[in-house]
Amino acid sequence: MSDVKQKPVPRPAPESAPYWAAARERRLSLPKCEDCGQNWFPPSRTCPHCLSSRVTFADVSGRGKVYSFVTFHRVYHPAFEGETPYVVALIELEEGPRLLSNVIGLAPEDVRCEMPVEVVFEDVGDATIPKFRPRQA
Amino acid sequence: MNIADFSTDLEAARELRDYCSIVGTATSRLGRVPGVSSLDLLVEAIRNTVEDAGLKASDIDGVICRGPDESYSHHQVVAERLGINARFSTTLTNGGASQILGIAIATMAIRFGLAKTIVCGFGRDTWSRTHATEEARVRNETRPASQRPREFGPEYGYFGATAAHAFGATRHMHLYGTTRDDFGAIATAFREHALRNPDAQMKKPLSMEDYHAGRMIVAPFGMYDCSLRSDAAGAVIVTRSDRAKDMRRPPVLIKGFGTFNNTRGWFNDDNMVVTAAKQSGEAAYRMAGLGPSEVDTAQIYDCFTYMVLTQLEDYGFCKKGEGGAFVSSGALRLGGALPCNTSGGQLSESHAEGMLQIVEGVRQMRHLYAPDRQVKDAEIALISGHGGNQVCHSTLILGKA
Ligand SMILES: [Zn+2]
Repeated sequence: MSDVKQKPVPRPAPESAPYWAAARERRLSLPKCEDCGQNWFPPSRTCPHCLSSRVTFADVSGRGKVYSFVTFHRVYHPAFEGETPYVVALIELEEGPRLLSNVIGLAPEDVRCEMPVEVVFEDVGDATIPKFRPRQA
Repeated sequence: MNIADFSTDLEAARELRDYCSIVGTATSRLGRVPGVSSLDLLVEAIRNTVEDAGLKASDIDGVICRGPDESYSHHQVVAERLGINARFSTTLTNGGASQILGIAIATMAIRFGLAKTIVCGFGRDTWSRTHATEEARVRNETRPASQRPREFGPEYGYFGATAAHAFGATRHMHLYGTTRDDFGAIATAFREHALRNPDAQMKKPLSMEDYHAGRMIVAPFGMYDCSLRSDAAGAVIVTRSDRAKDMRRPPVLIKGFGTFNNTRGWFNDDNMVVTAAKQSGEAAYRMAGLGPSEVDTAQIYDCFTYMVLTQLEDYGFCKKGEGGAFVSSGALRLGGALPCNTSGGQLSESHAEGMLQIVEGVRQMRHLYAPDRQVKDAEIALISGHGGNQVCHSTLILGKA
């Protein structure tokens, strides 16, 4: 039986494997349509903008802003005991797509909507997960 | 194709206005009912509903229900326990939007001759599943394992519906200056209504001080922003309005319904701030031929306080961004401008994914309550259902016959 104190690691669907492989190399890479040029998230094999199946992965800037955020006070998983309060935010990337992550490097009460952030990478077990910190000047 | 062009839909929708009525409604025991499955709670509610209507089970030829998430073909199991065959039966999976959707489908099925008398209902045993035993308390999980996300959430410590809805609350507060006092106005108003309802799960008064003293769960939500975990079921019986006159109770007209699903997702567009209640409500208003100023009482899907505030805006009871001032004015209280969740809602009565909102809407339109619970002179009730990954929505408008 797995240690319940261990943090959950991503168990990727086949279509998101390239995203997590890129994160291992400390790159934020999103699906991109070769026909209409748009990005989206979460990964899928058909472009939700034009239904093209010519889909590739392309690195994005890693810059974005906080669209919204919440602060966990309750422990929902034993691995996060001792980490509360922590912030989970919806990050809107400069390229458009939004993704869930943690905002780290400042107190939860200092996080704001529209705050500029940039990606940092954190190793959790065998996985590397993108997190965000306030954008450095 | 323009999905916002309703000109050709209007005629079809008008044909359904008042075509059917609700002729029976009831609940199961509510709150903490250990040792009774969600299925048996639903069967209990249906039995009480059949009795309320003065019918026999054999008078029913249709069953529409949402099952527990892990149940397969739930309507079949329900009908089997009722001892009936069904000309029309199915199970819906739009979460808390399913219960009104069931009534919408029932009305259409009856209109087109697929069935005559359909029971719609839902039951859940969430309190028992999360609190009744030590094992349940430790697990404290309402969702079956197969439905929990595998990526893009758990690795960030992101779990549960509370956080999902809290995102909307934060964004609304950012855009419009909405405060936790506004959320507290909702929680305290509904608690006051629950104290008038002997069946309600919550029995103690809730002051604004109590609200702010409640422990934080996922900020900006504290414990009193969150709906209850309940063992609860409810049901209604729908039949053609011209058949409804000779029943035991006053029939209640189904004046309109609408659905809209922001299937692009809760995190896309502005969906967490402008919910699908907007288009779902517009569709229901169109069918009913009326607008928000004609609504006398609203029974709003209150999984979290914020969802009441934003849906009231989306329904046009006030402008977008003015929900905080609206709810803090006391409008939602019995005797206020728009008495809302008059039996206590999911925050204080019991949580059956919108089913009890429907039951209360019907009861208000029957005018059988004592004056302390009755919305005076109420002719029109609006009821909302919300769920299905936060973006599925349905609206029901009922009228006094
Ligand atoms: Zn495309």
